[in-house]
Amino acid sequence: MIDPAQSDLVSSRDERGLRPSLDELCQNARLLIRLRWVAGSGILLGTLIARWILDIHVQPIPLIIIGLAVLCYNSLLFFVCRVGENSLRRAWTVAWGQIILDWSAMTALVHFTGGITSPALIYFVIHAALSGTVLLPWHARSLSGLAILIVAALAFLERGGVLPHIRINDLGLDDGLYKNTTYIFAVLFFFGTTTITLSELVADKAQRLRQREKHIQQLFEARSTFMRVATHELRAPVVAGLSLMHNIEQGYVGELTPQQAGLVHRVTERLDGLRILIDDLLTLAASREASIANAPLEPVSVRAVLQKIIDQEKPNAERKQISLQAQLSDSAGIVMAGDIGLAIIFGNLLNNAIKYTLDGGQVMVDYRINRVKQSVEVKVVDTGIGIPADDLPQIFSEFFRARNAKALQINGSGIGLSTVRTLIDRYRGTIEIQSEEGKGSTLIVTLPLAPRQSESH
Amino acid sequence: MAQKILIIEDDPDVVLSTRMPLESAGYEVHEAHTQDEGLAAVERVKPALIILDVMMDTHTAGFQLAQQLHGPTAKAEHRSIPIVMVTAVHQTTPLRFGPDEDYLPVEAFIDKPINPKRLLEEVARLLEQK
Repeated sequence: MIDPAQSDLVSSRDERGLRPSLDELCQNARLLIRLRWVAGSGILLGTLIARWILDIHVQPIPLIIIGLAVLCYNSLLFFVCRVGENSLRRAWTVAWGQIILDWSAMTALVHFTGGITSPALIYFVIHAALSGTVLLPWHARSLSGLAILIVAALAFLERGGVLPHIRINDLGLDDGLYKNTTYIFAVLFFFGTTTITLSELVADKAQRLRQREKHIQQLFEARSTFMRVATHELRAPVVAGLSLMHNIEQGYVGELTPQQAGLVHRVTERLDGLRILIDDLLTLAASREASIANAPLEPVSVRAVLQKIIDQEKPNAERKQISLQAQLSDSAGIVMAGDIGLAIIFGNLLNNAIKYTLDGGQVMVDYRINRVKQSVEVKVVDTGIGIPADDLPQIFSEFFRARNAKALQINGSGIGLSTVRTLIDRYRGTIEIQSEEGKGSTLIVTLPLAPRQSESH
Repeated sequence: MAQKILIIEDDPDVVLSTRMPLESAGYEVHEAHTQDEGLAAVERVKPALIILDVMMDTHTAGFQLAQQLHGPTAKAEHRSIPIVMVTAVHQTTPLRFGPDEDYLPVEAFIDKPINPKRLLEEVARLLEQK
């Protein structure tokens, strides 16, 4: 592991701190929108309860207007976030728009609940802290300053009589409290220090998290580049050697004696085993990338991927005179997955079916939509060597290979099915296997249909 | 006159394994080892068919050369030469180093390791179509 503090990977950050990603901005906007539904309704409900149940003398009209305004602009923000394309520029506009609207509503709320004596003052602290999580540290710092300025302005404008002071009798406060300069300064001092400290702390934590996330992402990228390059470098000499061996085997450098032909065949087989291992490692690396938690899932058509894989595997089947039949439903079968991941799943299943079926056998692919269960079912049936019953429970374990496959010296690495299972888990699907040694295997993959596509074809 | 085939590939052993079956089938074989050499050789040799590797001096040299020879800005005389692209990563691995092959302006793909029989079939098929 590289020490994050010493790694030059993370030192390339902006002087003012790491900017949040589009994803982070959108997530924050969505969270704030959810909280604001509660806040807006809370103001309305609180006003009603305070005025008519607890009989506290608040001015209900302005408070109800504030509550409704909050709900109104929240609906607007809700639609802005839903409709149209998400761009970084737009997300920043939404982030700042939210701050301006919220702070205006909060200032009004504080004014109408008693200015410097308002219990709602504490909301400013929460908002300053929230902006620390979304924005850059210097933004948060400036906003904390602004919060103090707003409250001070409100206090002194009320004290000087420019703005009317709205008093809530029932809080039992001294009537002249809002005119008491010492009180004003004391509140401003404690309010100010709390706001600044909290927003600093939060902004700092947000920065550290962003830094760590960036670092993890860079490590992932470095690892996958390494895997690709290393595997390619490993593969190049093996395939060059195999290409030469195929020339010898197919008689382009003259006839071989039976003994020579036997040895050439053995070397070719060993090299081919190594090639398969390297290819599987490459696939494993790709599937690890596809199955890590932050790889986004997108709508993918199972039919399209399946058709592509069947076309790719046809030459392999023809070479072994295996009849490869496919019964594919016309529905696209949209599932939430990754196209690389799906190709790895079906590529492995079909490749296995052909590999473990003796010459002249049959492989059948059946694809259908189960409308009742809202799922896609893909069945791969072969007339191959099957899996011994006592090997079945371990068939999805990494590097496990069934006894009969090893005995028949069929090249394989034991990585394929474990990769398949990891990916299917990630896509919230299931895989089921039925097999009888010497008769063949049936693998059934079930994947849930994407919610929106469930109704249509 | 024997038909000319140009192999553009940097690995000498793969060149040899491609050359042997083609020569035994009676083709006149020429070779080049980098993207630039390949382009020059196409001008000089005027091959009937090109066998093109993906990764040579750069990881995408083959893709770039395919674009130069068959892309929208390519010369008409180049565009009529069929290209067989030799892909490095086998078919069941969807992970490839370059763009999606559906968008590549080539006529056929064969995988490494080179299977001489399949190579000859593919070459004969493309030359017949020409």
